[in-house]
Amino acid sequence: MKFNHYLSVLAFSLFLASCGDDDTGTGTADYADVLANVGTNVFLKTYEDLKDRAIQLQNATAALEALPNSANLEAARAAWVAARSPWEQSEGFLFGPVDQEGLDPSLDSWPVNVTDLNNVLASSNALTVDFLKAQEGTLKGFHTIEYLLWGTDGNKQPDTFTEREYEYLAACAGALAADAAALYDLWSPAGGNYVKQVTDAGNGSNIYISQKAALEEMANGLIVIADEVANGKINDPFSQKDLSLEESRFSANSKADFADNIRSIQNIYTGKYGSGGNGNGIANIIKAKNVALDARVYAEIAVAIQAIEAIPGTFSDAVFNAGTAVENAQQQVRGLLSTLESEVLPIISNL
Amino acid sequence: MPDKVFFLLPVFLLLLGCQKDDQPKPDELEGLMAGGGTTVFSTGPDAYTFPLANIGGYLGQHAAGDAAFEQAFVTAPAPQFGGIGPVFNQNACIACHVRNGRSAPPVHTGDPATGLLLRLSIPGEGAQGGALPVPGFGVQLQTKAIFGEMPEGTLAVAYKQEVVEFLTGEKASLQLPVFAIENPYQPLPVGVLTSPRNAPPVFGLGLLEAIPEAGILALADENDSNGDGISGRPNWVWDIKEQRTVLGRFGWKAGNPTAVQQTADAFNHDMGITNSYFPMENCQGQGNCQSGLSPGLDIDDDFVETTAFYFKTLGVPGPRGLDDEVVKIGRELFDAAKCSSCHVPKHQTGSDAISALSFQTIYPYTDLLLHDMGEGLADGRPDFSASGQEWRTPPLWGIGLAQVVNPKASFLHDGRARTLEEAILWHGGEAEASRNFYKNASKKEREAMVAFLKAL
Repeated sequence: MKFNHYLSVLAFSLFLASCGDDDTGTGTADYADVLANVGTNVFLKTYEDLKDRAIQLQNATAALEALPNSANLEAARAAWVAARSPWEQSEGFLFGPVDQEGLDPSLDSWPVNVTDLNNVLASSNALTVDFLKAQEGTLKGFHTIEYLLWGTDGNKQPDTFTEREYEYLAACAGALAADAAALYDLWSPAGGNYVKQVTDAGNGSNIYISQKAALEEMANGLIVIADEVANGKINDPFSQKDLSLEESRFSANSKADFADNIRSIQNIYTGKYGSGGNGNGIANIIKAKNVALDARVYAEIAVAIQAIEAIPGTFSDAVFNAGTAVENAQQQVRGLLSTLESEVLPIISNL
Repeated sequence: MPDKVFFLLPVFLLLLGCQKDDQPKPDELEGLMAGGGTTVFSTGPDAYTFPLANIGGYLGQHAAGDAAFEQAFVTAPAPQFGGIGPVFNQNACIACHVRNGRSAPPVHTGDPATGLLLRLSIPGEGAQGGALPVPGFGVQLQTKAIFGEMPEGTLAVAYKQEVVEFLTGEKASLQLPVFAIENPYQPLPVGVLTSPRNAPPVFGLGLLEAIPEAGILALADENDSNGDGISGRPNWVWDIKEQRTVLGRFGWKAGNPTAVQQTADAFNHDMGITNSYFPMENCQGQGNCQSGLSPGLDIDDDFVETTAFYFKTLGVPGPRGLDDEVVKIGRELFDAAKCSSCHVPKHQTGSDAISALSFQTIYPYTDLLLHDMGEGLADGRPDFSASGQEWRTPPLWGIGLAQVVNPKASFLHDGRARTLEEAILWHGGEAEASRNFYKNASKKEREAMVAFLKAL
């Protein structure tokens, strides 16, 4: 699900302040180190983790199908949560093959087509990976698996599953693993090598005519996801007090989704991902122009993650019972959004 | 991918403000503000996704429309976004209009990812002068269905190769898609007329709608009274809300009069989403139209209008490198070849309900009129006043970014042209002289003409 909302916040004067701030004197600074690190150690690595954890999810659902019990159900749920994390950490860069190849809807469509799902389950169709691959995104991907693993109110027990639900789950996880593998392959140097479009921006890339063009798309990606978390994912269910608008409500994973989305911003900004990345990120560029701003972005990212994680209980509960904490998290993400939009992006746009 | 919030126009002004002594002459930069005050400047894959540079207070409505444009629909009954199908082509606007741009044509028979669809009719004139629906199939082949219903059929495609030789001896290869309907859910009547339509980009349509009708009709020359071989005809089409025949502007044959009606049409025929403009299911009365039906309309007028508002308020991407020497030559050749007789560069918008679109000088490179494009491009399927050989001049603004936005995008109504050069080479009919100008030009001249298009 990718709702998007906007803050009408642009101070035009900020754009006008930096004429001739070419204080390096060269005017042709090289950002290849940033592009190489973010492309290879953040983007590609995130997709590699997604691919690996999707395989683990596939294995866990196969084990659950083979031996349905509480332990295997919990293991499958844990595998879903683990695979969900790199996906949410990829939502700060939803460009390239994920977008062009229709993989985003295939992996992460919302809502689930429950009517069709029930009809498929009631049918005698063979529930194979190939069958699932041919279905629309609303019948597969993270949210269909989530719906099957947890049920509408999050407390489904092994004895309430039908045999066909287990089959559907395993096939659906197989299709998800295939999509995740395809996505990694399209980016990988051994496959489609889309990562080269990023690392070679302005130097042979046929997508990005300049390094600045690639950096602008990255900066825009940060803004898009900050906006979506604050003004879509948090705002829609919270402002309308309608949990049918909450994306990962079956699994009660929404807070983790939001925090991982902000971590996606953190990864690209700081040039680090997990224990990897050499630290060449968007931060390099900002720090060279404005040390105080760089420090503020670091702090605002950390504060936003803290505020999301500080929401008590599940997000579903908090929508009704912890409004102040939800509002605080939303405000912190909006603050980060405002900084990215009105201070970080203009620096990139004026490179 | 959701769109962006920020305003690139001031960045452009800033760049102008920072120019050195060797700044280009004003006439070289004519058309730089392709969308007037709405113009945005981005060279990346997100170039078609920014709101109007001058969007101001409309941003909230634009954002709501963005979510609607992206939303996937599901089978009714559903608590949210129910009503897809029973038969459909895709389940979200964005699925065809990839990143608000062009679709990829089908790579193989039954390609589920394509945003290319097949319009259908039988000979004769339907209600209000439109196409006559095919019994059992309607006016469009829906190639997908909800679970338990049959799609109307499979879109089959095979590509034939052709070779064109330039005067200077080099050759170019062209591909011609041949479409057919396989596995129809019931026998298809004989003599069905078909028209393949690839999803076009959606930015700038608000500005095109704001061009006063008189400005378009003034360009029409139905009997070629000026003797230039080019006759531009308006399409006269049915306005559902006004219940009268009006000027058509949108779609490959200008079959829809307004952006809102175009949207309502796409919701109904492409997605199976009923609305007040098209209250019947697209498969009404058919044997594959029995389940997944909701009692009322699937979406209200507000949803249709909000969706249309989104793309009406997308910024037009400005050209790049207009002062480049090769591009300058290409632009002169574009005029010399009389490309600009139909791809009319400049228009003025009138007053519009969206004030950001009002009174703008714009450079869409279209006359919004129908032209006979020859047998090579003909679909043989009339659409209101448009004949089976006529197509509406598509706008060229932003076309240089088409394959940056979607590397699989291609050109012309059926996506047959993989490159801009191929698109030029398919021009025939009224455009034959222009096409021959290109074919007979030197390699450098041809490259310059393509460079100009790529700069747009």
